[in-house]
Amino acid sequence: MDQRRIDALRAAREGQLDRARPEVVGRVHAGGRLTARERVEALLDAGSAVEYGGIAARTAEGDWIAEAGGVDFVGTVGGRTVIASSTDATDKGGGYGAGRLPRLFALADQYGWPMVLFVDGGGSRARHPRVGLGHIETTGAIGPFNLFDGISELSGRVPTVAIVSGPAFAGHASLAGFSDVVITTPGSAIGMGGPPMVEAALGKKLTPNELAGVEMHDLTGGIDLLVADESAAIDVARRYLAFLGDEPAGVASASADRIAALVPDEGPYDVQSVIEALVDVDSVLELRRNFARSVVTVLARIDGRTVGVVASQPLVDDGAIDEAAATKVGRFVELCDAYDYPLVALVDTPGCVIRRADPNGGADSLEPGITRWHTRVLLAHHHRTVPVVSVRLRRGRGLGAAVLGGLHTGRTISLAAYGWPTVEVGRPDGFGVVYDHNVFDDVIDPAETRARISALLARVPAPPTQGRKKHPVDTW
Amino acid sequence: MEQHEVERIVAARGRAADEARPQALAAVRDAGALSARERLAALFDDGVEALEYGILAAAAVDGVADAPADGLIGALGRVHGAPVVAAAYDRTVLDGTQSDRNQRKLARLVTLATMRRLPFVCFVEGDGARPGDPLPPPPVVIGPRARWDVYDGLAEMNGLVPTVAVVTGRVLDGNAGIAFLADCVIAVRGAEFGSRDRATGAVVTRGVEVDAADGHVDLLAEDEDEAIAAVRRYLAQVLLRSAPWEQDPGYEAIGEVIPDNRRRAYDMRRIVRAFADRDSIFELGAGWATSMITAFARIEGRPIGIFANQPLSPLAGAIDAAAADKAARFIELCDAYELPLVSFIDNPGYMVGPQAERDGIARHHARPLAALQHRTVPLCSVQLRKAYGLGPYAMSGYGTSRIQPELRLAWPSVESGGMSLEGAAFLVKRKEIQAASTPEEARAIRDHYAETMRDATTGLRAGQSYSFDDVVLPAETRRRIADVLAAVPTPIPTVKKHTVDLR
Repeated sequence: MDQRRIDALRAAREGQLDRARPEVVGRVHAGGRLTARERVEALLDAGSAVEYGGIAARTAEGDWIAEAGGVDFVGTVGGRTVIASSTDATDKGGGYGAGRLPRLFALADQYGWPMVLFVDGGGSRARHPRVGLGHIETTGAIGPFNLFDGISELSGRVPTVAIVSGPAFAGHASLAGFSDVVITTPGSAIGMGGPPMVEAALGKKLTPNELAGVEMHDLTGGIDLLVADESAAIDVARRYLAFLGDEPAGVASASADRIAALVPDEGPYDVQSVIEALVDVDSVLELRRNFARSVVTVLARIDGRTVGVVASQPLVDDGAIDEAAATKVGRFVELCDAYDYPLVALVDTPGCVIRRADPNGGADSLEPGITRWHTRVLLAHHHRTVPVVSVRLRRGRGLGAAVLGGLHTGRTISLAAYGWPTVEVGRPDGFGVVYDHNVFDDVIDPAETRARISALLARVPAPPTQGRKKHPVDTW
Repeated sequence: MEQHEVERIVAARGRAADEARPQALAAVRDAGALSARERLAALFDDGVEALEYGILAAAAVDGVADAPADGLIGALGRVHGAPVVAAAYDRTVLDGTQSDRNQRKLARLVTLATMRRLPFVCFVEGDGARPGDPLPPPPVVIGPRARWDVYDGLAEMNGLVPTVAVVTGRVLDGNAGIAFLADCVIAVRGAEFGSRDRATGAVVTRGVEVDAADGHVDLLAEDEDEAIAAVRRYLAQVLLRSAPWEQDPGYEAIGEVIPDNRRRAYDMRRIVRAFADRDSIFELGAGWATSMITAFARIEGRPIGIFANQPLSPLAGAIDAAAADKAARFIELCDAYELPLVSFIDNPGYMVGPQAERDGIARHHARPLAALQHRTVPLCSVQLRKAYGLGPYAMSGYGTSRIQPELRLAWPSVESGGMSLEGAAFLVKRKEIQAASTPEEARAIRDHYAETMRDATTGLRAGQSYSFDDVVLPAETRRRIADVLAAVPTPIPTVKKHTVDLR
């Protein structure tokens, strides 16, 4: 072959690398952030990355440009194949290049590879080589997908993780919105319409973070995790993906033996300490921590086995389940079911409530009652196929216990329903006394809980997950 | 046979009849209501008695003599000639409370309906768990009452057979659970949902109007007769695949609803009404997310679901989190019961701004897109004017791949750009606009540039660039859509068994 052809290729590839554009890289680093390539390198196991579209970048005029708005790789995370893609905000605002993401979505769908998307940017390129102003390129030249249908199709098929470490607006926000788990860093933003659009439409001049800051989303449920910086976000993404597989064993927490002492007969306690005492040491990854805090949703391990834990948090609203708490549980149940993570429900709730805002701007009030937000969770529980072990620590009034742990006659009945000795089944009230421990499979010593769950989960046959999608994970 | 026992059974049956309970019936009359049995009789084509289940079931509470059917009338009857299972809690029996026994009756009916794929209607008025019932009230159950218990049965029915709850009075706790598991909740104005504090007995209620404004009640009726007529109307939509029809008298002039001034709003309900068969519109969720209209309708007698943007709403048709939820839910409802979808599009896109973001639009916006991607019913869309940003994705199935929209039409009034002309003008001429000395001048500059860009987005250009399957005259719309819906099979065959060998 003519050596000049090889040389031209090498030069083109070299031109894509960070070292070919030290000024740009310097600017990114000065902002305390990683370049697109550095992000993916940090995410994937060393030496595992295979790049897609390494030189596939031309302007409308046919000139080579760096990065094509981002970089795409297939590699491994903890030995498991993962697709990783990062937008590059320094190139065309991180706008999508033609056919990039649909190609990756199709590969992920075909082979069942999870996806991690770093999606900061402002939507589609302002001016596309092939289409006009404001349009998003949707010509799926390679594979069956266009764009948002692709990530919608992946929902429930493979885990999708979005990492947002800058402003993400329009199409970028949409990709985050479709993802199972959204991990963010302080000061970032996720919004359907960016500041210029909001200024044009509503006449308000706002910074990205003022408009749609992740600190706000952290409280309102728009994201799953807010961590210190990009490195931490990448670590968390790696941990999240690791839950796809079980470990051969796990170590009990130092507090495991003292679990009974963590729950008083009456009054508040922090259920986080109960979860930590129940699961493997350092295995907890909490999702939507600061949203709807009266319930806690975490991924964790018990003797190495991945479990999703939903738990009442009596420290907040006494553990009452408002609409937001219900939707938090519902989405988490769908997530765990989609990827076959068994569920553990730690139930201690006075029941379901409806949150009412004070028209005078005072504190919200909680009114006993239910809405469709609550019953929606019953649908999720009814249709799940993953096993659930419910443990009633104290209270499970009204529909509250069912929202957390499901009903008794669902398609997949509970693997086990346990009560602790503190369980409230014999309360004296105006309706007479119902006192019957037969509503549980057993009433157990709290210290036995971990071993019981572990022993039962070990006996449940492995689900036939390969190549099948049970259902999408509702984005809300 | 022991004649004595026969007589006792006949007598017990007689005591359960409304006529045998004049005091209870008088109380019902005083309240201006129907008795539980009358409700079912009004629902069914031809009465209820012959098909009643568990009429002899009695209350298990000590010292209660007058508790016929244990407070729950359940029956298999016919609506529009098709079998339907229905139940009604009886307010005159222990406040319409739930006992273990009447829940067993209900669970049996639920299982029957599930087994045979029969629609299920429940009149849910009642006060929740029964005080003093010797067996635990739901959901604390020792064992299942049937294959599906009441709540799980309703969850199983969801998407399998249509379920309707009717709210005629006070509905507390467990009774409310039944309502909120139904596909469709129809409530009489003035009725209430609520909860009783089990320790103090204190009751907290809220009007059903609150729930209608929050999207938890689908339809408010003025009285019970209207509510029951609405249930029959709802069931007709899913039971009757054809119906006599005539064109709406306003159809020929449907295009005149669109104002000449493209910035002026109009009432999308007029379009929807004129498009559908005469008097066939049955709107659901009118009380919430008003920028999105969702309605059952018919076209040439064929049942369809219509979802449409409402330019006349406070959001001018923009899709906020609630409107996205409403559309997604309606798409799933129609998909589940094989109602083809027709959408009318005129929206400035998803709602933007700090409040919309706080409401979670970045996650909620995905719900209608996902619902359209996963649907199997046909989808025909008509873009009347604009659909910016992700607007076309949410409304027309644009960009779906598992299934493609069956027909994408536009009217000549279409604006086919990806963002508003005014917005584009602002972005392009920002400096010039911001340099203006008065807001009026700034708007004038913006609007001037917007008009110069209008030519690039006209209906003809949209057709030429093949952005739509066709650009049609408004009065051609019905014909096109009716023909497509007649041609495409519903439900679509989804399984390919194998290839056919070529040689």
